[in-house]
Amino acid sequence: MGVIGVGVALLAAACGGNSSSGNSNNPANETGTLTIWLMNGSAPQSVVDGVNADFKAKYPNVTVNVELQQWGDIGTKLDTAYAGSSPPDVVELGNTLVAKYAAAGALEDISGKKASFDNSSTWLQSLTDSCTVNGKLYCVPYYAGSRAIIYRTDLFAAAGITAPPTSMDQLLADGQKLMTANSSDPNFSALYFPGKYWYAALPFVWDFGGDIATQSGGKWSGSLNSSSSQQGLTTLANLVSKLSRADKTGDEAKQDAAFAQGHIAMIIANGWEVGVITSATGGNPALASKLGAFPIPSHNAGQQAPVFLGGSDLGVAAKSAHRDLANAWIQTFTNQKNMTQMATVGGVIPNTTSLLGLGQGLNAVFYNAAKNSKFVPNSENWANVENANVIPDMLVKIFTGQQAIPDATAAASTKITSILNGGG
Amino acid sequence: MATAIATPELEPASTRIHQRSRLLPYALIAPGIAVIGGILAVPLGWLVWISFQHYGLKELINHQGEWVGLNNYRTILADPLFHQVLVRSLLFTFACVALTVALSTLIAMLLQRVRRLVRVTLMSALVFVWATPVIVSVDIWQWMFDYEFGVINYVLTQLHLGNFIHHNWFDNPLQGWAVVTVIVVWGAIPFVTITLFAGLLQVPADIVDAAHVDGAGPWQRFWHVTAPMLKPLFLIVICLSTIWDFGVFNQPYVLLNERPSADYFTIAIYSYRESFGVTQYGLGAAIAVLMVLILIVVTLFYVRETVRVAEIA
Amino acid sequence: MIIPRAAQGVQVSRTKSAAGAVSFAGLWHRSRQLLFDALGLAIAALMLFPIYWMVATAFKPGREILTLTPTWFPSPITLQNFQDAIARPFFLDDVRNSLTIVGVMLVLALAVGFLAAVGAARFGFRGRTTYLVMIIGVQMVPLNALIIPLYLTLDNVGLVDALPGVIAVYLAAVLPFMIWTLRGFVANIPLELEESAMIDGSSRFGAFWRITFPLVAPGLVATAIFSCIQAWNEYIIAYVLLSSPSNQTITVWLASFTTNHGPQWGPLMAGATITGLPVVAFFLLLQRYLVGGLTAGSVKG
Repeated sequence: MGVIGVGVALLAAACGGNSSSGNSNNPANETGTLTIWLMNGSAPQSVVDGVNADFKAKYPNVTVNVELQQWGDIGTKLDTAYAGSSPPDVVELGNTLVAKYAAAGALEDISGKKASFDNSSTWLQSLTDSCTVNGKLYCVPYYAGSRAIIYRTDLFAAAGITAPPTSMDQLLADGQKLMTANSSDPNFSALYFPGKYWYAALPFVWDFGGDIATQSGGKWSGSLNSSSSQQGLTTLANLVSKLSRADKTGDEAKQDAAFAQGHIAMIIANGWEVGVITSATGGNPALASKLGAFPIPSHNAGQQAPVFLGGSDLGVAAKSAHRDLANAWIQTFTNQKNMTQMATVGGVIPNTTSLLGLGQGLNAVFYNAAKNSKFVPNSENWANVENANVIPDMLVKIFTGQQAIPDATAAASTKITSILNGGG
Repeated sequence: MATAIATPELEPASTRIHQRSRLLPYALIAPGIAVIGGILAVPLGWLVWISFQHYGLKELINHQGEWVGLNNYRTILADPLFHQVLVRSLLFTFACVALTVALSTLIAMLLQRVRRLVRVTLMSALVFVWATPVIVSVDIWQWMFDYEFGVINYVLTQLHLGNFIHHNWFDNPLQGWAVVTVIVVWGAIPFVTITLFAGLLQVPADIVDAAHVDGAGPWQRFWHVTAPMLKPLFLIVICLSTIWDFGVFNQPYVLLNERPSADYFTIAIYSYRESFGVTQYGLGAAIAVLMVLILIVVTLFYVRETVRVAEIA
Repeated sequence: MIIPRAAQGVQVSRTKSAAGAVSFAGLWHRSRQLLFDALGLAIAALMLFPIYWMVATAFKPGREILTLTPTWFPSPITLQNFQDAIARPFFLDDVRNSLTIVGVMLVLALAVGFLAAVGAARFGFRGRTTYLVMIIGVQMVPLNALIIPLYLTLDNVGLVDALPGVIAVYLAAVLPFMIWTLRGFVANIPLELEESAMIDGSSRFGAFWRITFPLVAPGLVATAIFSCIQAWNEYIIAYVLLSSPSNQTITVWLASFTTNHGPQWGPLMAGATITGLPVVAFFLLLQRYLVGGLTAGSVKG
């Protein structure tokens, strides 16, 4: 609306005028208030406090407000905030959301400042990809999450399995041994795989050489129906039908609680889910000594399947009145010292390959998995594919047998092609 | 018109009061209109304005859309999904309103017939249900209908009503919508029941007794004596329930993990999805406008009757 | 009243047989009462079950919560979930915010709504029908569709992330219902009462204040409860408008129990129990007025 537009422009101009950042090169003279949105549970409070103390030491007259945001409907809140006159200066964005906001002009282009961030030459490739839209950098990689298989060592031993499987065929064979050994338990799943768990389905597609979509000449074309993608999905569907009693239409939100109940031998999970499984509130601490982890095996014996690299990035709002200060804060947050803190205290995978050695014990498996990782098609329209539930819906149709794999994948591919190329 | 007794013309007062009275009603309603208008007029105008534009995230951030005339409306009206969602929403609304009003009437009549202790217990139960935030109660229901940990599957299996172990209530949309209906009706019963019960207390006992003596059965007493007296109340309750149930959002949205498939769209979810899911705010706004228009048509009869009854009062 | 002949016949024959066996009629009456009472309790139990499940879960220790075989009674009973919930940051801030929002909103809504209701109930004026239709029509607009424009409007006047912004939105959302209901209550008070007071020498305003207002009080209570529940339980507007944790409401605080790996059931249920209590207490306290108030307002429209 005209009135609102003018008002916002005036306000933005006014804020811009008041900005002191860039007026002086001496950090001690900088003033202003930075608003930073981090997601609930992404960084431990002690790490955030440490970062703010470091920042305060350098910029004594800048106030920093770190506001933790809740997950439910965060997209709605971000859309609205970026439409407003004073969006938060720094926002943690799920890595599959960056392209959408960058392409819409919500985020500042920081290509020229890349070198000012610690470890920017060794950032995890998939995270850097998620920040890059049309060759320009719009965010700083924050942390990553990659999946592997968490398993019950005691159940494996009881079923006579001595070592974790190293190929997909062996995964199936071991799973069937587990199913036989526990055939008296009607709730038992050797590999618990909820139907909508598409992050865990992608490794199977990628491992056989398939992909979600490919780009050529600026046009996207969905490729879940390629013969290699279908091969991967066929392998997965076979595993699910033989090894899983999870809800074929459910998602993975409850899988840790389910695992803690003791009727599951394996789940595909993030490293931090070990903590959820063994937590005293809702989990089962007694399982701590009975957990192991191994990478999702490839169909080629001895290799690992590529995994989806989840995670978050940090972006600066284009409308921010304190863009330089915002970048300075991100520099502090993602520097060598604080990234090390994120890994050792927070237990997440840091943004750089140079710190992947920090993964200890079970965590090492997940850190290693990040090295062989992939990302979703890097298109501004990708978030729309996610929000239209194309892949989860396809998986549900396949697992429940409502559609044959060729039909389900063809329908999904057509839809993905259309959405990625800007259609509905 | 009965309202005439309240109009200034008939009042035996001086010209001074007469003059003042003519302006008084406007003075009285002015603050209300100012508040509602002041807060909602611009947003409502924006909604209608946007519905004629191509308005994506980029346009939203820059506050600059592209005028496309009736294109958004054409797109939606030509979308088979919209027709599906509309028919489903209408059927769902009808089922919910009918069930809510019927059950609430029965419970309200029961409240009249039980002894005091039971009445207080039942009323308190209704109050508890009413006071629980929807975002919490839907979570509880989702959990109760859960595939693995759901107490409903467990109880139904224990009662030997079939094997409900690992039964998925949302596999079959018809069953899923039955669950949604149960939850919506459960949440709607307290308001309607308590309102109707209050109304029942107002029906003078001597009239009902007279009908009893005249030999009318309980059904006839209700139909010919009680119901007509409660008509204004029924109108309000049906009208409000229709508005609320047609706009249902949270129940299917949360039950299906905030990512309902198209089978579980209500019009409100469809509009929200077009806006925030695929950032087509123009389309989302057009759906919301259509939703209000359809609601006006659906409730036209009730609104007219309600206003007519109000005019007489 | 016209009663069909057949029905009269049935009634007569039943009366005859009842007269023949008084003790039987008494027995019938008592067993029917028992049946009604049992039915009433059964419905109460059915309605309450999800609430019971919430409260019972709040008292269960972590591992007892998600089980394949449900546990009906918390054993052992633990207060851990309540401690966890209350210890969560900003609990007191958010309770205070919710109380402030609901309190201020209620006072304003009652004042403005009451005036508007009197205007619509006591006076005939040009545009009254339009006004009434508008009051109903405004309630048809889905709130979710207004999130962005409401945000932008409040942003223009600097009321984003501020309680007055949320109060304003709730006020506008609650007022139509309030005006509509209160109008019914006022219309139900016979004008003659006021007029007789005026003959006794009171001014029109004095008569209204002394006679009508006290009679409408239960109606004010009733609509206050409706609005209180609406505002106390609202989530999405508060979530989008309020960003800093110390400014948020209790429902947004409750959402913090739902992480990206599902809800933390124990603390969530404990939190929900705590936040539900004030509303239930408020409601039970005023229940008598509510029933009385609604009665006055609704039947005559």
